[in-house]
Amino acid sequence: MLPTCTAEGKTSPYELRDGEATHFERLVLATLGDSRLSLAGIVATLGIIATGGKVAFLIGLILLITVIISIGAQMAVSPIVTERKEQTLSFVMSLPISYREYTACKVWGNLIIFLVPWLTMLLGSFGLLLLSPGSRGLLPYAAIMSTEILLSTCLILAVALITESQGWTVAAIMVGNLGVNGIGYVVAHIAGIAKGMWGPTIQWSGAASAVLGVEFSTIALLLGLAFFVQAKKKDFL
Amino acid sequence: MNGLSVHFERVSKVYPHFTLDDISLELPTGTIMGLIGANGAGKSTTIRILMGLVHQDQGRVHVLGRDMPGEQAAAKRDIGFVSEDMRLYGSATLAWHMKFIQSIYPQWDQPYAETLLGRFDLKPQQKIKGLSHGQRVKAALLLALARRTRLLVLDEPTTGLDPVARQEVLGELMAVLADEDRTILFSSHNTLDVEQISDQITFIDRGRIIASDDKERFLDRWRRLRLALLPEAVLPRLPGVVEVGGSGRLPVLVTNRFDPAMVSACNDAGATVQAVDPMTLEEIFVANVHSRRENLTL
Repeated sequence: MLPTCTAEGKTSPYELRDGEATHFERLVLATLGDSRLSLAGIVATLGIIATGGKVAFLIGLILLITVIISIGAQMAVSPIVTERKEQTLSFVMSLPISYREYTACKVWGNLIIFLVPWLTMLLGSFGLLLLSPGSRGLLPYAAIMSTEILLSTCLILAVALITESQGWTVAAIMVGNLGVNGIGYVVAHIAGIAKGMWGPTIQWSGAASAVLGVEFSTIALLLGLAFFVQAKKKDFL
Repeated sequence: MNGLSVHFERVSKVYPHFTLDDISLELPTGTIMGLIGANGAGKSTTIRILMGLVHQDQGRVHVLGRDMPGEQAAAKRDIGFVSEDMRLYGSATLAWHMKFIQSIYPQWDQPYAETLLGRFDLKPQQKIKGLSHGQRVKAALLLALARRTRLLVLDEPTTGLDPVARQEVLGELMAVLADEDRTILFSSHNTLDVEQISDQITFIDRGRIIASDDKERFLDRWRRLRLALLPEAVLPRLPGVVEVGGSGRLPVLVTNRFDPAMVSACNDAGATVQAVDPMTLEEIFVANVHSRRENLTL
């Protein structure tokens, strides 16, 4: 981690008082600062879900997915694609870092920051489901869908890093969003998962484990691909 | 490698519509080299290869004793780089950038940075997006200069600057040159800027280095000779003539190997030397480019 870096003033998320934050903390705070509305959206959506009922749950779920995907998309577009578009990449790459370090910084930095709202959503959903005795059967489905959203973010991140193109990244956002909806529909109709989905008890099936396994494998594959392609690049500017 | 800050050995890079071809370049420590070329000549590609930001297809590049691009991260600890297309973070202030760079480069010279703030009339609390182009260039230069690195690489830093800002930037670079251990590579298509601060000049055209020498040697050896031929006299064969112009009886020769003995040789051949004109770096560059392009088409 880089040593403490400070600046005066507090008019923007970048500007923090002396000794207040490290680079990493600054990055997290800046991103969270930009995502305050999104976090408020998550909390509000969890509130809708908490009101109970199937309709409220479905509306809340769609809103939640939309907010989280938006955060993931913003994180990929803002620090990666915009970096090239606004020509700050040559400034960053003039610093003593290699391509591998740049890629690792972008991947892990974005993922760690994304995990803040993602975990808020995950733990909030789990909490609500566990507190509502009649809805506990939805927990495996919620876990699968949360992981699918993480996968969608990794897809957007990988495409943004590999192509550094706004067009391709927007396409990845669309694919990711459609994927979440499509997977949500398909998973809800898998017999092993659908069986106890609306029941009062958690029924963890082999099918649910298999879907989660595929999702995590795809995440690993996407991130591995991003590192591999970056390592093969010959022109970085 | 001792004594060389930059060493290119037969470096090539092929793009679909441009080829950087067989570049060999040596930049001794403590010198200031001006890399002059027209737009699209290959200056920026050469510099990006030097910085490890573009990988060469062939050849070897050593910068400060480091193999590039493999050891680029280590090499860049001692390189200050500014390019025309480099932008700082618009939402952050110059103070933020200074602290950021300071945290990465332990040799950061804060008193010098503050001196530069005054000389360049920059306000550290101002956000980058509120700065003019000239101020942004000066801010980027401040961040590069105050790192106190052994090598400064400046890719067209004066492009787009107004005359006052250009002189401020060049003046500061000349002050930096007082440090004999610092090496500077300065690219520009503006020969006047390069002439002011460089002691070595390299001309690049269409992806090839066409000439590289001491600035003074360029200026000493390139001359324009205005002759008047006597009736029935023929144009004498002189060494290093790269261009013949003027009219039949009043030819004008450009030579890159001028020697005072040429004047008497011309007189002996029945050609009166009416004037021997020194040439500016721009004229030398243009004559060099024309000469090479004509040779290629022959």
